Amino acid sequence: MNKAELMDSLRKSLRGLPEEELNKSLDFYEEMIEDRMEDGMSEDEAVAAVGDVKDISAKILSDVSLPKLVKEKVKRRRGMKAWEIVLLAIGFPIWFPILITMAVLIFVLYLVFWCLIVSFYCVDLAFLLGGLGSIGFAIFAIVQGIPNAGIVLFGAGLILVGLSIPFFMLCNLFAKGMLKTGKAIILGIKYLFVGKREEENEEEIKEEVKEATAENVTEEVMEAVATEVQEEVATDAAAEETAGGVMA
Amino acid sequence: MEIQMKRGLLDVCVLASIKNEDSYGYQIIKDISPYVEISESTLYPILRRLESGSLLTVRSAEHNGRLRKYYHITEQGLARIDAFKDEWKEIMMIYEYVTREEKKDE
Repeated sequence: MNKAELMDSLRKSLRGLPEEELNKSLDFYEEMIEDRMEDGMSEDEAVAAVGDVKDISAKILSDVSLPKLVKEKVKRRRGMKAWEIVLLAIGFPIWFPILITMAVLIFVLYLVFWCLIVSFYCVDLAFLLGGLGSIGFAIFAIVQGIPNAGIVLFGAGLILVGLSIPFFMLCNLFAKGMLKTGKAIILGIKYLFVGKREEENEEEIKEEVKEATAENVTEEVMEAVATEVQEEVATDAAAEETAGGVMA
Repeated sequence: MEIQMKRGLLDVCVLASIKNEDSYGYQIIKDISPYVEISESTLYPILRRLESGSLLTVRSAEHNGRLRKYYHITEQGLARIDAFKDEWKEIMMIYEYVTREEKKDE
């Protein structure tokens, strides 16, 4: 791939980015390639050294906040025609509840995401506290003159406290996996905003061809995200199996 | 190395590479890479972060008929390097203690 091709495909896969932002980023990578060529590399080598499209676009994208992307998307919409405004007003009872529902849904998903992580740690805390409680009661029972029950309780307490340790590691693993997955999902969502944009009046056919290319890139990224998530799940499952083995 | 730690280290490395004279992207990579692994796509977010935190300023200058961006360290950037050195004095003291105790063990 030569420099122009790299710049072109980067521009295509990041078209929804604010223009100034995009130009700044591309200028940087262009300068890098030119400096490498000046240093004696061939154009192909220089382009390869700078990195591939997917890598670079992901890096640029993860640096731009999602609200900024949404704002850009809204800004780029052409002005509305009169009948569209009328339709919007009439349709208010329909789209407004849907909008609210979507907003709440997103909020709930976010909440669930963190609750899952917190609940894992809570379970671990329960193991620990339950174990310590049992040990406390065991001592109480022994003092009260029921040593048999005391010893059983003491043993159970030790087991619970012991279990809380590998389970804590499992929690850490789970939290890490969740955070990584969350990041990948956000990146995927950003690509949804950036990959496509409303056709503007100029050169509609050309736009459509470009559109198709951008779509391919988006799909590719989504696929990559999906694989990553799968891998994550696999790792977690493996970890859980190990933990299961420990318990057994 | 831990990601968070590496990020902080890279920030300081980049600042150090422009401390004595202004430098440009590729030169920074060449200067740092013997010590830390760094690529273009890693450097770019760092430079942006440092710029928005006004630890460095950017200017464009002509070079061989094209524009090249040169990075210049600010007072705050210099202060960041000093803060890093102070922090690491403490960490080095801890390191010395750890290795000393280990030697005692043998």
